[in-house]
Amino acid sequence: MVGGLKRKHSDLEEEEEDEKWDWSPAGLRSYQQALLRISLDKVQRSLGPRAPSLRRHVLIHNTLQQLQAALCLTPAPALPPEPLFLGEEDFSLSATIGSILRELETSMDETEPPQNPAAPPSPQNEVLPQPDPVFLEALSSRYLGDSGLDDFFLDIDTSTVEKEPAMAPPEPPHNLFCAPGSWEWNELDHIMEIILGS
Amino acid sequence: MITGLGALTQDTPWCFSQVKGTVEIGATEADIISTVEFNHTGELLATGDKGGRVVIFQREQESKNQVHRRGEYNVYSTFQSHEPEFDYLKSLEIEEKINKIRWLPQQNAAYFLLSTNDKTVKLWKVSERDKRPEGYNLKDEEGRLRDPATITTLRVPVLRPMDLMVEATPRRVFANAHTYHINSISVNSDYETYMSADDLRINLWNFEITNQSFNIVDIKPANMEELTEVITAAEFHPHHCNTFVYSSSKGTIRLCDMRASALCDRHTKFFEEPEDPSNRSFFSEIISSISDVKFSHSGRYIMTRDYLTVKVWDLNMENRPIETYQVHDYLRSKLCSLYENDCIFDKFECVWNGSDSVIMTGSYNNFFRMFDRNTKRDVTLEASRENSKPRAILKPRKVCVGGKRRKDEISVDSLDFSKKILHTAWHPSENIIAVAATNNLYIFQDKVN
Repeated sequence: MVGGLKRKHSDLEEEEEDEKWDWSPAGLRSYQQALLRISLDKVQRSLGPRAPSLRRHVLIHNTLQQLQAALCLTPAPALPPEPLFLGEEDFSLSATIGSILRELETSMDETEPPQNPAAPPSPQNEVLPQPDPVFLEALSSRYLGDSGLDDFFLDIDTSTVEKEPAMAPPEPPHNLFCAPGSWEWNELDHIMEIILGS
Repeated sequence: MITGLGALTQDTPWCFSQVKGTVEIGATEADIISTVEFNHTGELLATGDKGGRVVIFQREQESKNQVHRRGEYNVYSTFQSHEPEFDYLKSLEIEEKINKIRWLPQQNAAYFLLSTNDKTVKLWKVSERDKRPEGYNLKDEEGRLRDPATITTLRVPVLRPMDLMVEATPRRVFANAHTYHINSISVNSDYETYMSADDLRINLWNFEITNQSFNIVDIKPANMEELTEVITAAEFHPHHCNTFVYSSSKGTIRLCDMRASALCDRHTKFFEEPEDPSNRSFFSEIISSISDVKFSHSGRYIMTRDYLTVKVWDLNMENRPIETYQVHDYLRSKLCSLYENDCIFDKFECVWNGSDSVIMTGSYNNFFRMFDRNTKRDVTLEASRENSKPRAILKPRKVCVGGKRRKDEISVDSLDFSKKILHTAWHPSENIIAVAATNNLYIFQDKVN
């Protein structure tokens, strides 16, 4: 059943029936933010005991990127100044996305967990914070006014994170025998380096 | 032989034949059917379920006494194909759910099929035993070996008839070749090789060799952050053993020729329909993701299923499909809800009939749809216990989109999205179809005069 719809989503459905882009800015923004919230929810919920579906993750990830692009393009409506979170909110959203992607890659990859896992004493490596709807809206409205969400996924402050020297993985033997374990050993470090260093 | 569907419901109505499986009470998640496949003659029908079991049904010989009833399918063999596993390195469970079953063409008295879960493909041999050797004199009555010095005569055992026993034995296990989840297996027309496809790679196997496979497609980017597209389905051409296709989550199909290079990262043909800008939404990419791809029996066409449509492509025309059929377009305005409840990620399969004149696919509310490619007519039918009287004719169903709902129609908001028909199969030469509705298997056939 398409039940269990919260009131907000039934509002969404009414708006959605006319899916042209001439909504009021506020309506469009709340639609996009709701989609954002749903998408983040999905990614977090799907990291269970079973390996997540890569297809599902990629589709959600691509949708999130579209939302990012759209949120950058839509002008921020004039909002009354809201009490903003201090300190950690700069990292929280990006860290959430970053750590979700990292966990996904860790769980899908063949190799052992890294022997020296980068364990910065920052909140990034703790249990994923639930994306609070209030701070999400505050965050996006603040970001949109200033820098936009250009570095939505890559906006992780690397100065707080120790970089692990990673070896470049040897070229995988494409054409012949699929011999797992021979070159993918170093892939995890490689992926970690890419995420944290970008 | 095949009559084609003709005027779908008037001339050849579909009738209920059988239903297998338990009623609601007592059904567990393990009983949910996850794949259905007829063998090449249609004599056997295999199902796989979430619990890792395979059940094979065999069609009984038609009897002269009951000419009005075509042969029924009865259980022939049941076996546990895959068990749940645990990957200790990654602390992840590996599901035992059977993702796909593919039959090999029959070459001797035994039947062979491939079954796969997310990680491991197995080749099963299903054979009959109706004789037993008897008359050994090497053991005493309790089964202990006798002292050879006490044996003075040599007695050759003789084969005596016994009750028919069907045994399934795993002949090959093809493991440790897939990092990601296997979504497809396809037997090559050379009958010596087959391929298995996961989200990012496709491997080619020889049936005789289990410790090696050739990687023929690899779309994994060097940087996983750049990953935007995965492989969703793959299939060999029915006649050309060097040709195969694979579909993607971005709605594209690539046709590859293994003679061109060892690693088929460069496609021979690329099928993609330009996007309709008026239909653009945040969900455009998700609904364009292809969930199934099937060659026609002739090998001239491919059929693809995405979330809302089924498309038929001519292999000679890459820029657009030659036919597009709307499966349930009334869901287009509900995509946000379907995204929220995850239904938008459901993977529906599609099938051709034996003559490639009719295509079939599933929908929600236990509805399934058939499209006649010649007459351009379509019908919606329902797999339900209410329509399960023997030889009862299935009544066409209709979904009311808006405005006034007629008596027989069902409104979009009343559809049960937990009842989804993802897996169906069509007999290779007759109008007999198998429809998997959660934990029940329905068999329908056209009305026999």
